[in-house]
Amino acid sequence: MLKRGGILAFFPLAWMIVFFVVPTVLVVLLSFRKRGTLGEILPEYTLEHYRRLADPLYMGILLDSLIVAAAVTLLCLVLGYPLAYHISRQSRRRQRVWLFLVILPFMINFLIRSYAWVILLRAQGVVNTALMKLGLISQPLPLLYNDGAVLLGMVYGLLPFMVLPVYISLERLDRRKLEAAYDLGATPLRAFRHVTLPLTMPGVLTGATLVFVSSAGMFVVPEVMGGAQSALIGNVIQNQFLSARNWPFGSAMSVVLTLASLAMIALMYRAFRTAGGKEPI
Amino acid sequence: MGRNETDLGGAGREPAGRMERANRGVTSRNVYRRAVAAYSAAMLAVLHAPLVVLIAYSFNDSRINAAWSGFTWKWYVSLFGNERVLEALGNSLYIAAMSTVIAALLGVPAAVWLHRLRRRALWSGLFYLPQLMPDIFMGLALLILFSRLSIPLGKWTVIAAHVTFCVPVVVLFVLARLSGIGRELEEAAYDLGATPRQAFFRVTLPLLVPAIVSAMLLSFTMSLDDFVITFFVAGPESTTLPLYIYGLVKRGVSPEVNALSALMVAVTILLLAGAELARRRGETPSRAVQPKRKET
Amino acid sequence: MDKRRFARPLSAAVLMMALALLIAGCGGGSKQTLNVFSWTDNFDEEVLEEFEKQFDAKINYNTYSSNEELLAKLQAGDSQYDIIQPSDYMVGTMIQLGLLEKLNKANIPNAANIVPTFSAPPFDPTGEYSIVYTWGVTGIAYNKKYVTDEIDSWEDLWNPAYKGKVVLLDDSREVIGMALIKNGFSNSTQNPDELRKAVDDLKALVPNVLAFDTDNIKQKFIAEEVWIGTLWSGDAAFVQAENPDMEFVVPKEGATIWADTIAIPKGAKNKELAEKFINYLFDPEVSAKNFESIGYGNPNEKSRPYHSEEYLSNKTIFTSDEDLARTEWLVDVGDMLQEYDRYWTELTSGH
Repeated sequence: MLKRGGILAFFPLAWMIVFFVVPTVLVVLLSFRKRGTLGEILPEYTLEHYRRLADPLYMGILLDSLIVAAAVTLLCLVLGYPLAYHISRQSRRRQRVWLFLVILPFMINFLIRSYAWVILLRAQGVVNTALMKLGLISQPLPLLYNDGAVLLGMVYGLLPFMVLPVYISLERLDRRKLEAAYDLGATPLRAFRHVTLPLTMPGVLTGATLVFVSSAGMFVVPEVMGGAQSALIGNVIQNQFLSARNWPFGSAMSVVLTLASLAMIALMYRAFRTAGGKEPI
Repeated sequence: MGRNETDLGGAGREPAGRMERANRGVTSRNVYRRAVAAYSAAMLAVLHAPLVVLIAYSFNDSRINAAWSGFTWKWYVSLFGNERVLEALGNSLYIAAMSTVIAALLGVPAAVWLHRLRRRALWSGLFYLPQLMPDIFMGLALLILFSRLSIPLGKWTVIAAHVTFCVPVVVLFVLARLSGIGRELEEAAYDLGATPRQAFFRVTLPLLVPAIVSAMLLSFTMSLDDFVITFFVAGPESTTLPLYIYGLVKRGVSPEVNALSALMVAVTILLLAGAELARRRGETPSRAVQPKRKET
Repeated sequence: MDKRRFARPLSAAVLMMALALLIAGCGGGSKQTLNVFSWTDNFDEEVLEEFEKQFDAKINYNTYSSNEELLAKLQAGDSQYDIIQPSDYMVGTMIQLGLLEKLNKANIPNAANIVPTFSAPPFDPTGEYSIVYTWGVTGIAYNKKYVTDEIDSWEDLWNPAYKGKVVLLDDSREVIGMALIKNGFSNSTQNPDELRKAVDDLKALVPNVLAFDTDNIKQKFIAEEVWIGTLWSGDAAFVQAENPDMEFVVPKEGATIWADTIAIPKGAKNKELAEKFINYLFDPEVSAKNFESIGYGNPNEKSRPYHSEEYLSNKTIFTSDEDLARTEWLVDVGDMLQEYDRYWTELTSGH
């Protein structure tokens, strides 16, 4: 079996080593290289980029970004779970239709979708105009260019990363266990809390991982929907490559962001394990 | 939906107190189910709101997404005359289709292998870490790799990059599914005399289909949408739609892009509806599956 | 379980691939190919088609959206491009990094058509590596419906009456450069005290700013989401065409001038064809047609007779000589760039 398994894994492993491990090592090495005055990479090694990162400015932004990512993950879970639940309770044919409808908006370019939100939410936008015509408000609400708008944009963009894995685990849920809980007089909420949720935890963790890491490095949404002071770590990293021309510093920042995200995810899995769950990965 | 209510038919034989509780349970379960259905419909509306706006604005006479200034078809007309958009669209669809298929061919066996390992923390890290890397980091890393290996940038370097970020999705989804179904069914198949190969293809793989389909759908949209990584690894003949659009946005969003978005939604609906219809008519013979089996 | 459910994604994928091949399938042939790497919509389509016909070549037009993206591609080597369009300061950097080919001016007689002001700009003092393709000035744009005071100074952006209605370019050098000019310093200062003074000034402005934006800034002005802010003159002309209430001024303290150039990267495979292309673009008639379409400032003096009255009389596109005298190029600030970036991070993150 193991031998067969080895053959099974040869191509995927080789692929990931060539296209992921090797390039990653190259970038980690880059984060220790000295930067030339013009932004060129010098053949000397240094720790200065990591020392510079210890600056409370960068650490503060990193912390902010992780908090935002955690909030986005939580919101995606709370908003996405009921949707996934509903889809999984449909007939097979209707499940396909629902899945398709959930995915459909994501066929449109992310940037274009973000601009569509701008059209909806800006001062003279669709939502504000409608509310004012209805006489509910007299002044346009500031729906855009603030941190709330950044949260909205991220949650919107990342929702399918939560809905799909949760749906997968719900679809496979053993209904008999749930019926048993009801037969024993459990209320729907208790049945959900003690049966459904624990059994779908693998899907939740998968979704949370995908959403968390994608939002931690996000830069398009803060740029398009955020205000003047909404820059997150993704924007700062982006700037190192696209304006400050400091590739080694940008690489160092990416390395630290990745390690911080990994630590957060490890914590999440650990909390799950101590709660007695089954390892999904 | 009716199936859940009939499931409780046995409750009648229970003592009175228990039955009352069960009935109350049914009522509140219906309330919850309706609430969830209403919520899901509302959610779907929110998800599609930007889509509606885009489609509406694709008929807007103004050159810029500012105010409504009248109905027009002209953006659709100019879109079809715009060779560069069509070329970018072609490139994007080709790259997304190839990456999705290759990612599934690599990701499914990888997930099955990982699931069989006893200590898989290290190996599974290899498959989901690419998801953790900031895009710009991955893009730069791959650009450095390709330039070190003197591989000319083009469609295949883009596909290689896209496969690399799609494989984690396939692996994560399939693994989540595998740990949900347990090993009982496969072992039952062995007890009935199935070979490992038969057990896998007849029992495990069909159970993985929803996960594979979801992962492929998501991979396809991720590939279609990626800008940052693609930018770094694209060559002169591989401008994708996002690359084209990002450039266009610098000059002010052209309503042609809205028209294109509207058309893509329409084409996606038509393609999937067509595939669904073909499937129902049974015109797609199960032979279509076989090449895939051989490669696995 | 239903095995045929494989068929759906599979057939969808096959259909999509077929469609992709159908669309991608056209083309081919053994013509010479010119790989152009530039900003989006930087040429008139017909002008490009005409070149393809005249010189029996195929143009592959690829786009980037920032100078640093272009630099990254070139630094990775084997860029495969024949024509690039770096902006002013980037030309200087690329020359120093040895990334540009010297232009053979004998093949580009039309290069002599541009105005003398731009024939030897500070970023390429000998004019050997690049030719200015288009240029502009960063000034103040405002909507006179809401802004009734006379606007002639950068100071006006700080006016508390415009709180929440100010927009600034999403570019560290542009914004900090603006504050430096306002305080009477060079926009590319390397003096840390001057830099700090300008940044402190900006910190007082940021709470009034709705957003930093470069890509979507035109829509913000046109849709009247903002009343006043910094804007490039070419974009200002675009905005004015859509919203007649918009005004554009070059403030009295001075302003930053910028240019996009045309150049050939080191190792270009089709250098000769690239030079033919450059020469073609600077032909007076072609040039006029090109710039009427893209609407930016044309430095080609000889093409004036072929331009429309409307284009030539546009004061936003053609900054007056008097205003031009107050402008300053951004130049590379060396290692100070890291200081600029750190301040920029402070300003945009609110830390």
